[in-house]
Amino acid sequence: MIEIDIEKKLFSHTGEMNLKIKTSAKKGDFVTVFGESGAGKTTFLRILAGLEKPDEGYIKVDNQVWFDSTAKINLPPQKRKIGFVFQDYALFPNMTVEENILFAMEKKDKKFLENLLELIDLKALKNRKPQTLSGGQKQRVALARAIARKPEILLLDEPLSALDIKTRHILQEEIANIHKQFKLTTFLVSHDYSEIFKLSNKVIYIKNGKILKEGSPEEVFLENRISGKVKFTGEVLSIKKEDIVYVLTVAVGNNIIRVIATEEEIKNIKIGDKLLIAVKAFNPIIFKINS
Amino acid sequence: MNKLKGTIKHIQSAENISIVDVEIDNQNFRAIVLETPETSSYLKEGNQVFILFKETEVSIGKIIKGEISLSNRIKCRIKKIKKGKILTELKLLFNNTYITSIITTASAERLNLKEGEKVEAFIKANEVSIMEIVDG
Repeated sequence: MIEIDIEKKLFSHTGEMNLKIKTSAKKGDFVTVFGESGAGKTTFLRILAGLEKPDEGYIKVDNQVWFDSTAKINLPPQKRKIGFVFQDYALFPNMTVEENILFAMEKKDKKFLENLLELIDLKALKNRKPQTLSGGQKQRVALARAIARKPEILLLDEPLSALDIKTRHILQEEIANIHKQFKLTTFLVSHDYSEIFKLSNKVIYIKNGKILKEGSPEEVFLENRISGKVKFTGEVLSIKKEDIVYVLTVAVGNNIIRVIATEEEIKNIKIGDKLLIAVKAFNPIIFKINS
Repeated sequence: MNKLKGTIKHIQSAENISIVDVEIDNQNFRAIVLETPETSSYLKEGNQVFILFKETEVSIGKIIKGEISLSNRIKCRIKKIKKGKILTELKLLFNNTYITSIITTASAERLNLKEGEKVEAFIKANEVSIMEIVDG
């Protein structure tokens, strides 16, 4: 159980903002921190990591106090059981993959290292230097390095946003796997709805430093105000004009579906946009699949 | 998508299904939905809502006599025809409100549809969705 109740005054180019977050997470929760840039998401993660100090409040993890402004307790980052992965990989360029991971370990545990290399599929790359790796491979190393510390809490600050869609999907699977296998509590900053729905069971939606909405991804994002009973959220992969209408190809989970739209409807839609697709409960045709 | 704003005039519910009558520009539209006033607070007589239906669900009739099971028959005038190879888009006006229909070009030709002509638009109640209006 993680209990957080913090406050910090932030100064940015848009002026002063008060970051005020009170929330909690259970062990094993996968929490997405969502919001516009400048909402305070990264600062929130950095506060959890101990890289920034709140003005007031407390952070308790399994009844251990990590931060308490009144008791003047502030555990340094290395005393907090956290792993952190940033958008830019921040690997040591002069070290090999293996050395980068070993460096992060408190105790050099060769067996655990082998496990990690195996699990995150880095065995073949262990003697390579970071500059010879692709973006996806670098981010896998960063992930392995974060796990090497045997954290209880994994903090992911838009770790996949610089990667192409295919690599992103593969790494999402790996993150889900690691989260489960190491029984982590994970906080992810993400803007990608399909990623959020795939990975997280909880969303904290922050706006101007305050929690706007909190709950399951469905509760936070799916608008319940259309009477359509069959609803999907998806991402636009392509928009093609066919005759006088348009065909949208949309990725919904692992399925690709195609829907017809009019010129008017696609005016504000571009590739990569998230869509809510609703069909009335009366319309779908159903077939039993015989196994 | 056709999206029209109107006022709920009447709701009839049985278990989980409701028939909702919405008045738009002096014209009644009927929707059948898998919701009731108990499950959806916006389903309330007197409430303003949007009704939504896809252009491709709007059929066109000309000089139709006799009865039809379909609930929504709207007398319109064709304001604009955009003809494609397979599909044709019709901009229809009833009172002061526009709706759009997309039918096959073959049907448009068979009916010999012309701009300015009077037709009837047909929409099945089960194709009509209702959406809550949220301010801001």
